[in-house]
Amino acid sequence: MESSPGPLPAAELTERLRARFGQDLLESSDALDQAVVRIAPDRYLDLIRTLRDDGDFACDFLDFVSAVDRGDDGFDVVVQLWSTTRRHQVRVMVAAGKDEPRLPSIADLYPGANWHERETWELFGIDFEGHPQLVKLLLPEQFEGFPLRKDFALTTRLAKPWPGEETTGEGPE
Amino acid sequence: MGLIERTPLASIQPVKFLLNWGRKYSLWVMNFGLACCAIELIATSTSKHDFIRLGVIPVAHGPRQADLLVVAGTVTDKMAPALKRVYDQIPDPKYTISFGSCSNCGGPYWDSYSVTKGVDQIIPVDVYVPGCPPRPEALLHGIIKLQEKIAHEDIREKWSGKLTGAPARS
Repeated sequence: MESSPGPLPAAELTERLRARFGQDLLESSDALDQAVVRIAPDRYLDLIRTLRDDGDFACDFLDFVSAVDRGDDGFDVVVQLWSTTRRHQVRVMVAAGKDEPRLPSIADLYPGANWHERETWELFGIDFEGHPQLVKLLLPEQFEGFPLRKDFALTTRLAKPWPGEETTGEGPE
Repeated sequence: MGLIERTPLASIQPVKFLLNWGRKYSLWVMNFGLACCAIELIATSTSKHDFIRLGVIPVAHGPRQADLLVVAGTVTDKMAPALKRVYDQIPDPKYTISFGSCSNCGGPYWDSYSVTKGVDQIIPVDVYVPGCPPRPEALLHGIIKLQEKIAHEDIREKWSGKLTGAPARS
């Protein structure tokens, strides 16, 4: 078996990405020794393509696509990539906007992103432009609204408020 | 109209007793397992708890062979039409046990956007078994409760399907 170069530490991954993207890499941190980077939305596809095709990163496996509703700050899309050969991972955060959140689809780069983007679309209402089949995946067809948005009204909670302490949004970021 | 509805025989006490006694110890169970509760239901059917000793026969090959429907797990609004369809296919007389908090009332998903808050919104329920998930003993107890119910039933009324809202027979 061919020996792989081994995983890059988070700091090294971030540094190499910063060398390629400069100011467009808005934030970077590491969480449990995996690189977390925030990219400017117009460089999003470039970043994903670089992570996939560049031998430094070799992120050949898409772990998941999801999103975070940050309230007034709009929606973040989160993409987790993993390199099966080098055994390191990178988490990409990108702002999708607030009122009509949209981002280009990466389903053509990673076929595995297809269903993840559909799910993120139906639960958060984030439009993935260029997605081949953006239709409901999990929700019943007649379902209206985007249930994982913070402003989605849970009818049962309107009838009976949450009995415990609200923790949402009160903890540290 | 079947024989049971027409004959006065079924309302004669010893006959009624005998018929109900036979029916309560011969329940083919349809396992509508949807979540962790299904595992408890399966455990109840295996040798340690063994609900065959109560006359519950696992597992009907399809709803048309079943007498007892056990809804074990989280029913979602998307799954609800399928559950209704299964229930409608079970011939009368039929019984339903709602097994576990989720199917009783939504359980821990009481405020969820996708979970049906109680299976009794879709189909009639005879016995509710509480727990999250309930232990096999709880299901055995629920079955005994159901058998007590069957023992005191007017089977002409039950057979007619009027109690379960089944489609009218020609």
